Amino acid sequence: MDPETFRRDLGAWLDDNANDLTPPYEGIGSMDAHMAHYSHVKRALFDSGFGRYGWPESVGGLGGSPLLRAIIGEEINFRDLADPNAWTMIEVLAPTVIDFAPPELSARLVPPFLRGDEMWCQGFSEPDAGSDLASLSCRAAETDGGWVVNGQKIWTSFIEYSQRCVLLVRTGQPESAHRGITALLVDIDSPGISYSPIETMHGRRDFAEVHFDDVFVPSDRLLGEVNGGWRVAMDILPYERSTTFWHRGALLHRRFSDLVAQVSAAGNRGDAAAKALGQAFQWIVAFRSRSRDTQHQLAAGEQLGVETSVDKILITSAEQQLFETARDLLPGVMEFDDDLAAALWRNDYLYSKAATIYGGTAEIQRNIVARRLLDLGPES
Amino acid sequence: MSQFIDADDLALLASSFEAAMADAPGPSEADQAMYDLGWAELLASAPGQGAATAFSALGATGSAASLLDDVVANALGAETALQSCCVFPTPHKADAPGRLRGDTVIVDGLLSARAETAVTTVLGVVTESGVGHFAVDAGLLHGPAVDGIDPGRAYRRIVVEIPAEALEPTASEGSWESAVATARVALAHQLLGGARWMLGEARQHAIDRAQFGRPVAQFQAIRHKLAESLVQIEGAASVAGACLHDPDPMLAALAKSLAGQAARTTATHAQQVLAGIGFTAEHRFHYWLKRMLVVDTLFGSASSIPVEIGQHLLSEGTAPRLIQL
Ligand SMILES: Cc1cc2nc3c(=O)[nH]c(=O)nc-3n(C[C@H](O)[C@H](O)[C@H](O)COP(=O)(O)OP(=O)(O)OC[C@H]3O[C@@H](n4cnc5c(N)ncnc54)[C@H](O)[C@@H]3O)c2cc1C
Repeated sequence: MDPETFRRDLGAWLDDNANDLTPPYEGIGSMDAHMAHYSHVKRALFDSGFGRYGWPESVGGLGGSPLLRAIIGEEINFRDLADPNAWTMIEVLAPTVIDFAPPELSARLVPPFLRGDEMWCQGFSEPDAGSDLASLSCRAAETDGGWVVNGQKIWTSFIEYSQRCVLLVRTGQPESAHRGITALLVDIDSPGISYSPIETMHGRRDFAEVHFDDVFVPSDRLLGEVNGGWRVAMDILPYERSTTFWHRGALLHRRFSDLVAQVSAAGNRGDAAAKALGQAFQWIVAFRSRSRDTQHQLAAGEQLGVETSVDKILITSAEQQLFETARDLLPGVMEFDDDLAAALWRNDYLYSKAATIYGGTAEIQRNIVARRLLDLGPES
Repeated sequence: MSQFIDADDLALLASSFEAAMADAPGPSEADQAMYDLGWAELLASAPGQGAATAFSALGATGSAASLLDDVVANALGAETALQSCCVFPTPHKADAPGRLRGDTVIVDGLLSARAETAVTTVLGVVTESGVGHFAVDAGLLHGPAVDGIDPGRAYRRIVVEIPAEALEPTASEGSWESAVATARVALAHQLLGGARWMLGEARQHAIDRAQFGRPVAQFQAIRHKLAESLVQIEGAASVAGACLHDPDPMLAALAKSLAGQAARTTATHAQQVLAGIGFTAEHRFHYWLKRMLVVDTLFGSASSIPVEIGQHLLSEGTAPRLIQL
């Protein structure tokens, strides 16, 4: 299906079903309410067929270009219909699972994920392995018919709502670094998994600390090869920085437009306000343009790689600049007001601070650009 | 009659443009060499790609060739010729440089090096019925010679009054607004060509220069400055590239502003990485720095364009969805 027809048909369908698809909560809503509505929207999209485009037929999709998935998220985010963060998990994890899982496994497990019946999470970071992911120590020992996992993960987003987790474990010697890591697809209800939610500074239970105590994982849950987990992790990164970024870029665009409307309605037409808005807008557009190029590379079947660090730096800078501008141009609003709009600005402002932390920090991205794109040789 | 040129041919053109401009001793020789290479015909047949290629080379070589005269004349539908030049808007602005007041025209704008040898000048004038453009005898626009910051003297400022009767109507029909958009995209490519050159110099210096027993490229503070420069350049370059398929004037404005910002950031970081040697007259860096400062002001700058765009957004009360998949 060609992207423009798809966008038009999808837009018409979203408009026709606006009542059903609009969140029942006002403003921020609880995490439970968000997740319930997210699943509802996903299911409606899947059942209408739109949500199946861009995914291979082997996992319940209808085929077609990944551009179609970019368009869905864009239209959903411009209309503010579902939680964009929950949505990222599918775009981040499903393509890699499809690439690395045995075909029978993905044929069985991916469709409920696409339909929003299931949620999955990403268990990479550990208390002592953040940016230095290759130093992770959560261990998997081989046993009859599978693996036994022991150790800890942290910052695992959405685990409370998840049925499965893409988990990185140490299978090589402790000092084997990235050569001794394996990726497993683990059921969250496996005996021995326990977690305690961590509240974020923007007042949500986004992520959790997870403990693995003799957790058995059957051998058919291996993604890629034993000690080949680093490849799986590296495969995820470009997906994390293509389709989901396009979606998030749409959200930022909408929030920028909200800001323009609010500042304009307040009658603030000074050149200082105009300049701040113009500067925020230009980086949103720069990101969007760069990301558009990336979407087309992905759609053309090109292997995305380290150059997506440029997209990541552009979107995080644009996001933080946008919400700093909002704070300046809506003076005192996010600090002192409690109405819905203020609560949303406050929420988004605070959450924007995470953008330079998750998915590889701002510093790690600059290290990658320096080493791989500018070819500056190793660091001291 | 606009046509698209394939990537291999464009790369060939780019390298011959660069060689021609790098070898020319001055702007008029560079202009001549570009005309000999078919620049005017290229501009007529593939204006977007032609200007992007030529202006990237202009920025990369640091040449003072007066190609902007051709781009603006072509966009206005006027003749492009070595004997013809244009008056550009006053620094940081994009309004037509001429203003009709009774029977005189106040001209406040910029002229390129081409103006020294040109016979006719194309002048945009704000009149009661809108912006028109006219041919004017180039001799009327001679102002005092000014050195300015740019040793290459690519542009100089003029403020003169000429009689309204000196305006000769032209048959061409291009609008001033579309000429502004076209000029902005071309200048964005020039700024980015210059920024890439500055980044390349700084990168090489960082690799070659050793302190504390190692190349300074190993220090993270240096690496992050260069990385930040590249990111801004790539972001701006993507928007400038998008303008090839999308004539939206707001996108062109953003491309110019982003390119100016990327060039400013890169100049600051490159200067710091080059350190002492980059502060000398002997090192070539300052030529690119000064040209960047000048080109940034042409047709609106990274400081003035955001104000223009922000005012437009505030009056609309919403932001348009630019860049489609
Ligand atoms: C909202 C949110 C959601 C998240 N969701 C998940 C998830 O679902 N799954 C998951 O696995 N993880 C998740 N994370 C974790 C995230 O990936 C890590 O926080 C991130 O990798 C950084 O690790 P750290 O917090 O331990 O910081 P550290 O690595 O300890 O870094 C501390 C500081 O040192 C800097 N630094 C470290 N190394 C270098 C270096 N080589 N050069 C220069 N500076 C350096 C960092 O940039 C940072 O400024 C999430 C994080 C957040 C904030």
